[in-house]
Amino acid sequence: MTTELQRVGSSSTSQLRYLRDPDVQLMLRTKAGDEAAFQELVNNYQNRLIAVFFHLVHDQEAAEDLAQEAFLRIYRSRHTYQPTAKFSTWMFRIAGNLASNSRRSKGRRREVPLNIRDSGPLGHRPEEKMIAEKSGMMPGRQLDRNEVQSVVQAALNELSDRQRMALLLHKFEGMSYADIGESMEMSAAAVKSLLSRARENLRERLEKYVR
Amino acid sequence: MNDSNPLSPEKRAELVAYVDGELDETATQEMERVLAESAEARHEVDMLGRTFALLDTLPRPGASDEFTAKTLATLKAEQAALPWPQRTWYRNVRRGAIAAAWLVGLALSASLGYYAANRLAPRGNTEMIRELPVIENLDAYSDVSDIRFLRELKQQPVFDDDKPNPPN
Repeated sequence: MTTELQRVGSSSTSQLRYLRDPDVQLMLRTKAGDEAAFQELVNNYQNRLIAVFFHLVHDQEAAEDLAQEAFLRIYRSRHTYQPTAKFSTWMFRIAGNLASNSRRSKGRRREVPLNIRDSGPLGHRPEEKMIAEKSGMMPGRQLDRNEVQSVVQAALNELSDRQRMALLLHKFEGMSYADIGESMEMSAAAVKSLLSRARENLRERLEKYVR
Repeated sequence: MNDSNPLSPEKRAELVAYVDGELDETATQEMERVLAESAEARHEVDMLGRTFALLDTLPRPGASDEFTAKTLATLKAEQAALPWPQRTWYRNVRRGAIAAAWLVGLALSASLGYYAANRLAPRGNTEMIRELPVIENLDAYSDVSDIRFLRELKQQPVFDDDKPNPPN
């Protein structure tokens, strides 16, 4: 382990700053064959990964499958791992690629999650439309928490895949523009523009609910 | 910027970056000046903040209880299905064997080198030690013209201690 750290340290000074990341240390231990270190990484990141995947694929089981595949990819790539970024940044890059591949394999089908109670004789209708209609019938009516969740989820689903991913990393992971850029393989300026459009779209769709 | 001019996409991006705390000090001061002057910009910042805060209402589902165990079991099954050269223990053993082979090779080379240096290569000191008796008597030997003279001298009774010296 010490030898590995020394080798990494001498190979590139730019990698040294990432060695302070405790999760990078765990990944280096995994690389050295320490399976307990990998289990710790799974424990540290499983909820965070699943939360992001859930809002990308709208399904708990699919989110868990994707998270599991992400961890397997991380483990498979341990032999060639180099600490060239924060661990979380590197992991979410893998997650982003995985989500894109998953969406491509589904033919970029857009799914709108619906609850059973929204089904009726006329079939399913998007939640946002239903709630807007209900709210319109009762001016001043306060939406309950579930309804707000549905509206926000619907607004989020309307964003492009990349806007949604950037927004989730920013909101849920508290990532800086620079880190989002590294995860999504784009410049910080491009992230700024992407997030601006995402936030503007979100504002347009949700403004009527916060007045 | 004033209220008669709508916000440009660039200014909106700056506003979002301001709300996100991503502007440097100079740009932040400039944005605060703009906000002080523009009601539209202030409204925009307010709406951006409030709509973004709505994301906090979203559920953040976590892993099921068996997720870790399932993931690690899948990983172990995958490892077991791998051909030998890709298995972790095989890689470790192979790495150890290569290191051991290098060590043995180095030790053998060192031993051979030592043996060759001591046994095969001529050493100046060895020859001098072998010839030490000659060296010690070099002055006496220099007085002798050749070896035949010495042999004849030896056969003379003059150096024989057991026999009495001939009378002069």
